[in-house]
Amino acid sequence: MEVQMKKKRGLRFYLSIYKKILIQDLKSKMSYRADFVISTFGMVLTNISGFITFMILFHNFPSVNGWDYHHMLFLYGFSLIALTPVQCFFDNNWNLRFMVRSGDFIKYCFRPINVFFYFISEVFDVKGLGQFAFGLGTFIYAWNKIGIPVTVVNIAEAVLFLLTASLFMIALMNLAAATCFWIINSGYVMVIMFRFKDFAKYPASIFSGVFRFIFTFLIPIAFVAYYPSLVFVTPDHVPLLSWLSPFIGIAFFYVSYKFWMLGVRRYDFTGS
Amino acid sequence: MANEAVVMKNVSKQFKVLNRHEGLKGSIQDLFSRDYKIVNAVSDVSLTVEKGEIIGYLGPNGAGKSTTIKMMTGVLEPSSGEILVDGRVPYKDRTANSEHIGVVFGQRSQLWWNLPLIESFNLLRDIYLVPEKDYQDMLSLYRSLVDIEPILHKPVRQMSLGQRTLSDILAAFLHNPGIVFLDEPTIGLDVSMKARIRELIKGLNEVKQTTVILTTHDMGDVDALCRRIIIIDEGRKIYDNDIEHLKNYFGSYRTLRMRLGDDSWVEQVIDEKKTDVMHAIKEMQKEHKVKDIQLQEISTEEVIRKIYEGSESA
Repeated sequence: MEVQMKKKRGLRFYLSIYKKILIQDLKSKMSYRADFVISTFGMVLTNISGFITFMILFHNFPSVNGWDYHHMLFLYGFSLIALTPVQCFFDNNWNLRFMVRSGDFIKYCFRPINVFFYFISEVFDVKGLGQFAFGLGTFIYAWNKIGIPVTVVNIAEAVLFLLTASLFMIALMNLAAATCFWIINSGYVMVIMFRFKDFAKYPASIFSGVFRFIFTFLIPIAFVAYYPSLVFVTPDHVPLLSWLSPFIGIAFFYVSYKFWMLGVRRYDFTGS
Repeated sequence: MANEAVVMKNVSKQFKVLNRHEGLKGSIQDLFSRDYKIVNAVSDVSLTVEKGEIIGYLGPNGAGKSTTIKMMTGVLEPSSGEILVDGRVPYKDRTANSEHIGVVFGQRSQLWWNLPLIESFNLLRDIYLVPEKDYQDMLSLYRSLVDIEPILHKPVRQMSLGQRTLSDILAAFLHNPGIVFLDEPTIGLDVSMKARIRELIKGLNEVKQTTVILTTHDMGDVDALCRRIIIIDEGRKIYDNDIEHLKNYFGSYRTLRMRLGDDSWVEQVIDEKKTDVMHAIKEMQKEHKVKDIQLQEISTEEVIRKIYEGSESA
């Protein structure tokens, strides 16, 4: 009996629960139409202003370290798409520290489902969709301008490497958020980690050796766009790290998940 | 099938707490400090709860009630001792344990804040893999016990505290768990809502034979629901018996008030082990005219207060 019950809660179970929560959540968000419109509008504005800054910068420096304008644009679009999942699906990480402090976090521990899933599934941030549309537009435009052939293999690779890239950002934010189980002012860790994402849209080759090492191996922000996009930008010499990035990404995500769950176990739920 | 819902044997829980120092220098010290003190939240508690029982788990603030509940629900691991909840070790198999328990923490809703109650219920049905028929039966049982229609389509965020508590209790029973933990379910509620909630808990316990472990500071809850109570203080169990016995805890005292000929009231505390009420009245009548009498039982609240205060001075 017990074994059967456990089997039923597999991937399909979690996907169906997630879908149901998502639909309900969207329904209730739509009912706050003004809030919905304003936040989407705000996100579009944020992206436009970011994009204008980017344009001004790179019209003045037409080539950075061998990367021309359209390559930079490709990287920019790539990073925007790769940053969408963390924004849309994992936004509740930002609330983790408040819930842990107040003790409200305990409610996630009473259900017969994975605590990380239950916590993360609670929030879907629609604002990320604006960013996604914007990123996708930029990405397709740059893809055309560079003249990357539209083949099944290329598209499959694009999807694979975009997913990989987003795993890195998700893992980074998981790690940053989970520090709240150990330290009180973990908000800073999250903010700093989130700021690092701005480095993702520049080619890591512009950074000096020390920083490149840091952004590759310590805070692997270079994997959020640079390494995966090399597969398309310089198809003739793709570094080994790029090809390995899907495996590193999965491993990194797994480590971040384990760290998060370790925090849950370790946390002593003091206070009533 | 064993008849015990919960068995705890010599359970203790210690927390390591960092001795914090004051000021900036102190905070920097704390960063590297290994200066911990050990706090005993629960010390050597043994208890058994029978299936189908509603038990009052009482104690002053900070006595270790919540820690005990957190151990029973599998959130905390005991430092020593054994716990079995419905035959399972809660901490080792948190998921399996949580399928068979329900938890309500008063004032902390566990429902999806933005969703109408019925959608939360539907999600819980899916999460607990409740068969559709059982689910519909449970909803009709709810309808027979309380008027749920006005809240069923309301998002939890728009509910009053009373409606929210009601919803949380209904949600906790939805998958028909063997044991439900209710932590201060009536806190902050008005008198009529308290009464409705008590009736609901009582009704569900009677129909479904659910074991209920109730922590509360409201003796009204205890009087309305529990036959047996357990009191802990400073992590130790200090009382575990029927409420009837509780009233005899300090001897069986009653207060006799008599109105005399000049309309003044006199009070006399009667220890029934030494004398009885009729005797006391007769004694009084020998010297005074007695126009009226009142007899006051010592209330549960007073006894509990005496126990809390007694253990503080001890």
